[in-house]
Amino acid sequence: MSEPTQKSLGGWARDVSESARSLWEGMSVTLSYMFKKPITTQYPDRMPLPVVHTLPTRYRGFLEVDMDTCTACQACERACPIDVINIDLIRGDGVTTPKTAMERFDIDIGKCMFCGLCVEPCPTGSIQHTREFEGAAMAFDNLTLRFVPDPAKPYPAYKPPKGADAYPRKPLGEIVRKLIREWDAPAPAFPQRDGQTPRPGPAEVSHVPR
Amino acid sequence: MSAAATAISLSLSTIAKTSNPRSPEQLVDGLLRARGIEASSPLSTLAMVAALLAIAFIVVNCAAIAAGIFSWLERRIAARMQSRVGPNRVGPAGFFQWIADAVKLLLKEDLIPEGANVHLFRAAPYFMMVGFACTFVALPFSHALIAADLGVGVFYLLAVTAFVVVGVLASGWSSNSKWSLFGSIRSAAQIVSYEIPAGMALLVPVLLAGTLSTQGIIRAQGGWPWQWFVFHDPAALAAFFIYFISALAEGNRAPFDLPEAESELVAGYNTEYSGMRFSYFFLVEWGNMWVMSALATSVFLGGWQLPGLDAARFDALTGGAAIGLEIVSLALFALKTMSLVFVIMWLRWTLPRLRVDQLMSLCWKYLVPVSFAGALFVAGWMLVVRAAPVLDLLMRGALTALGALVVTLFVRRTLSNVRDVGDRLDVRGNW
Amino acid sequence: MSAPGTDPSATMTSGKEVLKRIEYSGEMLVNMGPQHPSTHGVINFLVQTDGEEMTRAIPEVGYLHRSIEKIGERCEYAGFMPYTDRVDYIAAMFANQGWAMACERLFAIEVPKRAEYCRVIACELNRIASHLISVGTMAMDVGAVTPFPYALREREFINDLLEELCGARLTYNYLRIGGVAFDLPDGYSERVLRFVDHFEKVLVEFDRLITQNRIFVERLRGLGVISRALAIDHCLVGPNLRASGVDWDLRRDLPYSAYPDFEFAVPVGTGAVGKTGDAWDRFWVRTREMQESCRIVRQALQKLPEGPVMAKVPRRLKAPEGTDAFSRIESARGDMQYYVVAGPGEMAHRLKIRTGSFNAMGIIEKLSRGIMLADLVALIASLDVVAPEIDR
Ligand code: SF4
Ligand code: SF4
Repeated sequence: MSEPTQKSLGGWARDVSESARSLWEGMSVTLSYMFKKPITTQYPDRMPLPVVHTLPTRYRGFLEVDMDTCTACQACERACPIDVINIDLIRGDGVTTPKTAMERFDIDIGKCMFCGLCVEPCPTGSIQHTREFEGAAMAFDNLTLRFVPDPAKPYPAYKPPKGADAYPRKPLGEIVRKLIREWDAPAPAFPQRDGQTPRPGPAEVSHVPR
Repeated sequence: MSAAATAISLSLSTIAKTSNPRSPEQLVDGLLRARGIEASSPLSTLAMVAALLAIAFIVVNCAAIAAGIFSWLERRIAARMQSRVGPNRVGPAGFFQWIADAVKLLLKEDLIPEGANVHLFRAAPYFMMVGFACTFVALPFSHALIAADLGVGVFYLLAVTAFVVVGVLASGWSSNSKWSLFGSIRSAAQIVSYEIPAGMALLVPVLLAGTLSTQGIIRAQGGWPWQWFVFHDPAALAAFFIYFISALAEGNRAPFDLPEAESELVAGYNTEYSGMRFSYFFLVEWGNMWVMSALATSVFLGGWQLPGLDAARFDALTGGAAIGLEIVSLALFALKTMSLVFVIMWLRWTLPRLRVDQLMSLCWKYLVPVSFAGALFVAGWMLVVRAAPVLDLLMRGALTALGALVVTLFVRRTLSNVRDVGDRLDVRGNW
Repeated sequence: MSAPGTDPSATMTSGKEVLKRIEYSGEMLVNMGPQHPSTHGVINFLVQTDGEEMTRAIPEVGYLHRSIEKIGERCEYAGFMPYTDRVDYIAAMFANQGWAMACERLFAIEVPKRAEYCRVIACELNRIASHLISVGTMAMDVGAVTPFPYALREREFINDLLEELCGARLTYNYLRIGGVAFDLPDGYSERVLRFVDHFEKVLVEFDRLITQNRIFVERLRGLGVISRALAIDHCLVGPNLRASGVDWDLRRDLPYSAYPDFEFAVPVGTGAVGKTGDAWDRFWVRTREMQESCRIVRQALQKLPEGPVMAKVPRRLKAPEGTDAFSRIESARGDMQYYVVAGPGEMAHRLKIRTGSFNAMGIIEKLSRGIMLADLVALIASLDVVAPEIDR
């Protein structure tokens, strides 16, 4: 049809029959789908199972740190190519206060690209990807997961027993589920500590749309 | 359905049965006469005008509602064909989605782009609406339901559908947008070209029936498939397809949706519209599906004719039987029309779009010659049939059998498609 | 981009100059994109047109530029891996592999056999997914909407498989320098085989629905014909090159990874419906490549060797400053090349990524002369350009 050429009657008839054939084939294919079950699912409210339960175990969702087995080695912090993880350590004397403790263990899941590089170097498997992924938030700051909730109560570093090759760990997802807030929760107030420049508070950085 | 509401308004006519009225004028006339008011009095003129206004109101609203329902239907069907679910949240099976959409569009801001020709821009959707609503005057719905059984029905329908092109051109020109202009120029070229094969194809049933009136053409057919004009002879069969293709092109439906091809022209001539005015364009697009299918049903597929009951016997009926059969004929007509509407949607979700030059060559190199040849053939065939009526019967029988065969093979092909990819039929899930 | 013998005024120019020049001619300048449904915010075409027939279309790139190459120069070698996902997010596995291979050459790391097989399986699945997007969007740009959801549905199955393998559906980050992150999970090969069996049937159906459709063929035949010489002149790669009749596939001709172990055909455009190298040939070559990928996946699963999936890699990757390495792989969009020069410390001094889409963009202006406006969309789609790959 496209070239402005002369067509023989045979070519003309072939055009017509070819078009009829492709109509026949194409329309029977689309009609057959009419009588099949749709492949799409209706997320989130009309699912046979919550999506989280249908994801494979390797799924790279929100990160979770089990502070009870974290050695404060900061390997994950170093491995992260975009500096998502922030760990602040304080040193103690080892008698009244623990030798190494963590004041802060923040993971900014608003910035994280869920690449999994931080999980690999962890000596105890403390930091892990969970299958949780539903964390929409109105306030951007709510996307920062604080595994040390209160800097005034630093978490002592875990000392793995000698020769151990398995470490106790809380069930995956349990910790992070508690940290994810409602989508419309107000932005958190940032704790300020002596001698530190105050980090931007919710008033300056909150991205809550009007 | 638009037909249903018109049925309510006009079933009065069958109840009154003063003189078996065929049109609203006769109905109003009869009612007035029954009260002793003569046709010549000014009161009669007033009543007539009021009645016509009321009918026009009903018809336009029904058309709008039908278009809305089609929008829902199309989305559901398209979804299903694409292995999706489609709108299913508002109301049962998402049926009220079209109302929600209409309300949303009504509440949206009516934007007029800078540099647009404001008056023309505002008026363009109404041009389209007028061209579309006028068609309902001469479209039959059932045995007695027709706003006006015009003597030049088919001609009138062809004339007013072409009116839509004025709206398309005006909207594209006045928008001050290049995409809109492209769309409207494409559309104008397309509609004007496809008028010719459409007209020639409609000439075939007109020849066969010997009248231009839509009701007259339906009356010349019968209830059984072999009495339909589509199976009358090969030329009529070809004419049906030509009309159908041309109607698709005139209605800017895929595969001829070049004026609004979204991957090429953003949205074509209605790119710059929003809100209510935008919804008019879509109303016309979906409503047009009913118009073209109803016309095809009337002139090729036997319209409202009931199998085994010929039109003269139908006329003679009175009382409950008449009302009952009227409703059955209405339902039959609606069923045939809806199947054609379904085919239109189905085509849209199957075929790629043609290019402008291909569109034109399809029209001028394929449809126009065939439609002219078909009209000539039918004229000759009518002479042959007059000489040997048995040939007529044979031809009709053979073509009907052919049609049945094609449908059967098609169904088998579809079923084997389902099997081929290792799937199974399942129509229950997820409606 | 001016080829010898062409009118110098018709070389690639900026939009402003074009505006100036056509001010007094009767032609129209239309911006197709970036807010256009078929360029969806990432490319712009300045279309100089005389009604439906275009004079030419000038591509403007850069809307998705994210300086990935520069980022590579401030990232550790291993830390750059997730960024390569973003070079070509439709076929991220290939970008991973190019980077992994470049680094393995830089640090002289031997990759275990099983890891190579895992890479091949993942890459070929990814190739199918990428080609599905390509053929689906191409059908959609020609106006057939339904093949697109069908293609996406098959792609979802692949995404499920890859998600099971590496935990992500789009930005896989599956490969590591020296191997792969995970071994195949239990029962994985059965699931992949089940998918491949199913997919081959669907491909036949897909051909019936769209590839052989008369309107589709008419739209694409003879459109944007790239001759053999032109394709080579413009450094086209991958399916675009093969559609022009050049029988060149790195997997076979410069074998890398585990590809020498497999038997597969390299589909080459033959001009079955029009001229060799037209848009339909490019479409067809992609559908055939999906079939060949299925074959490769099958063979790889059959021959899968035992062993580790990760080589011994030092914790700190460091190469003498100034040493360089180069890798090229056959990605879904063709020859993808990484060139890396080691810098001081654990970072690269310079990184260069060569991708197929950028060169494909260069040929559009030449091909767009005198075609219809509607065909421009089909032409762009047939070259299968992916915006992040153009700009990086
Ligand atoms: S997943 Fe990747 S981006 Fe996220 S914290 Fe871990 S290393 Fe950083
Ligand atoms: S989470 Fe793991 S890697 Fe990170 S500091 Fe704790 S022990 Fe080290």
